[in-house]
Amino acid sequence: MTGSWQNLDYFAFVALFCIGLYVVLAKSNLVKKLLGLNIMETSVFAFIVTSGMVDGGTAPIVGPGVTGPFASPLPHALILTGIVVAVSITALALALIVEIKRQCGTIEADELKGLD
Amino acid sequence: MQHLLPLAAVLPLVAGALVPAVAWRRPDRAWGWAVAAGSGTLVVTALLTLRLLRTGPFSYPLGGWAPPWGIELRFDALSALSLGIAMIYLAVLVFSRRYAQSAVAPQRRAWFYSLLLVNLGGLVGFACTADLFNMFVCMELVSVSSYALVAAGGGRIAALAAFKYLVAGAVSSMLVLFSVGILHALTGSLNMADVAVRLADVEARGPVLLAVGALTVGFMVKAALFPLHLWLPDAHASAPGPVSAVLSALVVKLGVIGLVRVLPLFTGLEWLSLAPLQEALAWLGAIAIVTGALAALLQEDIKLMLAYSTVSNVGYIVLGIGLATPPAVTGGLVHVLNHGLIKATLFLAAGAIIYRTGYRTLRDLRGVGRMMPWTSVALSLGVLSIVGLPPTAGFLGKWYIALGAFEAGRPGFAIALLAGALLIFVYYLRILNALYFRAPLREEMLAVREAPVSMLLPVLALALLCLLGGLFGSGPVALAARAAAALAGGG
Repeated sequence: MTGSWQNLDYFAFVALFCIGLYVVLAKSNLVKKLLGLNIMETSVFAFIVTSGMVDGGTAPIVGPGVTGPFASPLPHALILTGIVVAVSITALALALIVEIKRQCGTIEADELKGLD
Repeated sequence: MQHLLPLAAVLPLVAGALVPAVAWRRPDRAWGWAVAAGSGTLVVTALLTLRLLRTGPFSYPLGGWAPPWGIELRFDALSALSLGIAMIYLAVLVFSRRYAQSAVAPQRRAWFYSLLLVNLGGLVGFACTADLFNMFVCMELVSVSSYALVAAGGGRIAALAAFKYLVAGAVSSMLVLFSVGILHALTGSLNMADVAVRLADVEARGPVLLAVGALTVGFMVKAALFPLHLWLPDAHASAPGPVSAVLSALVVKLGVIGLVRVLPLFTGLEWLSLAPLQEALAWLGAIAIVTGALAALLQEDIKLMLAYSTVSNVGYIVLGIGLATPPAVTGGLVHVLNHGLIKATLFLAAGAIIYRTGYRTLRDLRGVGRMMPWTSVALSLGVLSIVGLPPTAGFLGKWYIALGAFEAGRPGFAIALLAGALLIFVYYLRILNALYFRAPLREEMLAVREAPVSMLLPVLALALLCLLGGLFGSGPVALAARAAAALAGGG
């Protein structure tokens, strides 16, 4: 352990997560909100993928003459599932935005408030 | 027999995926298929619950990989909720037939049933999983299908409400996934029992605190606990009737079940006390009881009223969990089931009334009690039950939570509970008054006919369960007490 510098990437992901959350909360345009959501998702995925990293680890493919240490492949598998979820959420959200635009004529949250 | 446990979740998921194929040439087949799948799930969960009662909790390694490496499904006392889930869902699916014919466009109808079945599969899977990531996946199955179901009926408010719900839900899901990632990074495991053991040796305090906080906030949003409930009223009120029933009765309980599952993971840590967190939950629950009931009091729209009442009732459940004494947690968990039964009755009855009359405000609905007597009887039974009058299902949970509040030496919370019940009583008097004792405002009301049998039957069955749930409540209470043991010990 050489102090918290080793974990610098973790702080970066938390910062990215907060940026995404800020965009979701502060932006009025629904597409921008969705982009913020995607930033959050990316930060979480990147965090989990890097958590599988082992110092000096190689790709976990076992064969003749290959010795460890290996990086953990499990987080990658998890995040594949996570990406599928994120894609479906994005697709659904875009479809909803199209529907909102068609019905209300705007996709700005502050203009939509008056329409309710 | 051994493979029954995965079947409980896989059956509705596969059946849901197949709906569009089954209904390809004959759209009317979708409903029969969905009801058959729903009944199958009910049978499977009933068999699982029987086995639980006979032999105690049992687990199943998915794909033959033994835990903690593989994904473990586990059927314990809390998972027995899946029987209630399947029961309520079957009623909703039967009810959906006529409602979907009027509210959902023909080309969307197969997808509507498909989404409902996927939702059911996710809920059952969520109740039965013992793996953190699997829990997240089931949660997303439920959430994403719910977002789509809210918008299924069409209409401008529905699309907007669905989007709002999606944003809130997706943010909370990411919080949960983030904490799952932290826990995996800390312990190298995803199996809940294994994580709990390994977490006891973890030294790093920051990440653990971050994980507890993010999990709690994430599940609070899913459960629509005050002050994170703002997405709920619009989504629940503008969804089609059967969907509202599912969302209010079952989907918000996801957050509660999630909390009950993950909080015990942290009880093994010596330096971490959950007491402040539980105190905060109890306070938020108490505030939610009162504010939810007050907000419901101000509504004219019957579905908005019911939606705010859900906010209030989630408050009861979380108050029970936050108090962390055995009777309080037992009461909270019993109320998870009983509120599900009651709220499904109420939303389905309201849906039947809206289906027949086309009106949804109390003013417009005056006098409907005489025209639709059976539906109104069911609605009134649900109303009495949610107020918590003694022989009904709503009474049990509240009684145990109040007992728990006294046991914890916090009679103040019991007073909040009573105040909530009184407020609820007032706004339900308004409903009963409008149904039975006011002269109709609209002439059309006099020509309204009773709801069709396919709607009336599930509504009456659920209303009967509301009544029986109170009279024969010892079974659920015993199971809830067993499930509560894991959580109440740590307080």
